[in-house]
Amino acid sequence: MKKFVRSEAYARTRLVTGTMFVLLGGLLLGQIVVRFGPDWHAIPAYVLGLALVLLGLNRWREYNMARRNR
Amino acid sequence: MSLSPLATPATAQPTLRRALTPWGSFAWGYSDVGADIFVGLGLVLGAAAGASNIAFLFAGLVYVCVGLAYTELAAAYPVAGGGQYFVLRGLGDIFGFIAGWAVLLDFTIDIVLFAWSCIDYLSKLLPVIAFTVHPWTHFMIVFGVIAGLATLNIIGVRESSAFNEIVSGLDVVSETAILFFGFLFAFRPEILVHTMTVNWPTPFNLMNGTSLAIISFVGLESISQAAQETQKPASVIPRTSISLILTILIFALAYSNLALGLQPWTPIPPDQHGHAQALWQYLGSEENNGAAVQVLASLIPYYGALAALYVPLLGAILLLISSNSGVFGSSRIAYAMSQSQLLPSIFQRVHPRFRTPAVSIAVFCGFALVELVFAALPSLSPGFKDVYARLFRGESGITFLGDLYAFGAAASYSFVFIALIALRFKEPETPRRFKIPLNIPIRYRGTRVEFPLIGVIGWLGITSILVFTLITHSIGRFAGPGWLLCGLIAYVIYRRRKGLPVFGSQRHDWRKRQVQILKDAGELELMDEYLANVKRIDAERAGAKPA
Repeated sequence: MKKFVRSEAYARTRLVTGTMFVLLGGLLLGQIVVRFGPDWHAIPAYVLGLALVLLGLNRWREYNMARRNR
Repeated sequence: MSLSPLATPATAQPTLRRALTPWGSFAWGYSDVGADIFVGLGLVLGAAAGASNIAFLFAGLVYVCVGLAYTELAAAYPVAGGGQYFVLRGLGDIFGFIAGWAVLLDFTIDIVLFAWSCIDYLSKLLPVIAFTVHPWTHFMIVFGVIAGLATLNIIGVRESSAFNEIVSGLDVVSETAILFFGFLFAFRPEILVHTMTVNWPTPFNLMNGTSLAIISFVGLESISQAAQETQKPASVIPRTSISLILTILIFALAYSNLALGLQPWTPIPPDQHGHAQALWQYLGSEENNGAAVQVLASLIPYYGALAALYVPLLGAILLLISSNSGVFGSSRIAYAMSQSQLLPSIFQRVHPRFRTPAVSIAVFCGFALVELVFAALPSLSPGFKDVYARLFRGESGITFLGDLYAFGAAASYSFVFIALIALRFKEPETPRRFKIPLNIPIRYRGTRVEFPLIGVIGWLGITSILVFTLITHSIGRFAGPGWLLCGLIAYVIYRRRKGLPVFGSQRHDWRKRQVQILKDAGELELMDEYLANVKRIDAERAGAKPA
């Protein structure tokens, strides 16, 4: 487990999942805008979409930091 | 966990092995905070009904502020002790004691609440142990689990870090799968909007639900407590904390939205009076609120059949780990408080054979058992039902424990925010690899400091949750402040006997201590930066003083 976590494959996996999170969050935000627009019922869903995008971006940032340090 | 910080004689300085990798640090935090949604979802749905997602959103945003505060402090002060240590350092001994004592309340509740919920999840596979079917059997098993965990911790057997990491990994995958299939096959936005509109709660219930929602986010403390065992803490802790904060926020918001907008593939059974009920009512009922994630997962088309089999087991394991972290954490905090002379030295005493803090473990597990008895009393003896109905609005069982958990968390977090602000002023020389965003630069005593706006926003948020808890929770209103008051009385007696200042603080050489902390953490660059900052700030302050 520890070996895998330190490997390049793990870093790439996180990059892929990070990209998926960004896409998923973006898709969710897009869907909410189209279906509900500025409706207060949708506030939690907007925050959910934003959190997914941020999680993805955080993974990208980590990947870039790890590459720079290598 | 895999490390044994307390496995040293009482007289020796405890040394912690720095073995936690980024993933290990994440898993450590996740095994504690990740289990919370298993307990919190049903409780919040039962209270906040159609506004449960709003309750989770509010508590979640406060939690993000709490998380950022802990991240900054744990990266700057990578020592065991967590919130209690930051408050001690920022605000002094008595506030350090209050914050630590509130955290101890949370840890003792953590032990019971998660052991209770662990059995609730298992009862979905073994209905004979269900709380609603055989309360005595349920009580005895929870009692046995707590006693067993206490014994295992005393003899020094803890779950390994690798086991922790595997369970956390499996749980992240499992929860993601539940949400993925749930949103894919059964989520209907129209149902979500309808449920929110038709079942909007009263302001009282919304406050109650919001204060309960905070319990779904308690446990980030674990990462800062493990800071002393984390490799390169100043850079690793911010990485893992941010990931953990976002992961938990996503899970809480996604589960609450799914629970309000799910179209179940099988009909929802009627309630005990034979009335039809909505999904959120079914999940928030006394029968299911202890195992709401499992029930929700079982109602997802296709995947639900599989989830119904493994989620109870996985949930139970994660909850058991979380319960154990309560046993482990309470003894560790008590040990740290005792070292700072906030608690009597008996809490530092280690077992001569097993070299574990047996007294601390026995005392705080004893408290946990008392809390268990109070929570279970009305179901074990019908005579107490009327008493609880009169005194505590009939709250018992898991709701009783949730009340106290919310109080302890809100009380300790509110002090951490104040400590964060105070430390920015008192110790501007401390290098902060991670700094909370949104700061206002100001000059204080001749030097530049940054005032953290998020600290104020977070403090207002957590204080409002504390007020909600005091307004809406009959038990939290009495037992929470009662716990703090009893602790304070004991603190005053102890400090007087030892001849230590009661309301003031002992002299601490924090600068010397900080150099040692950074040296021990292997953060030598930070240590150099710290020493340079000390020189610069001392010169600035000397220059600012009138001749």
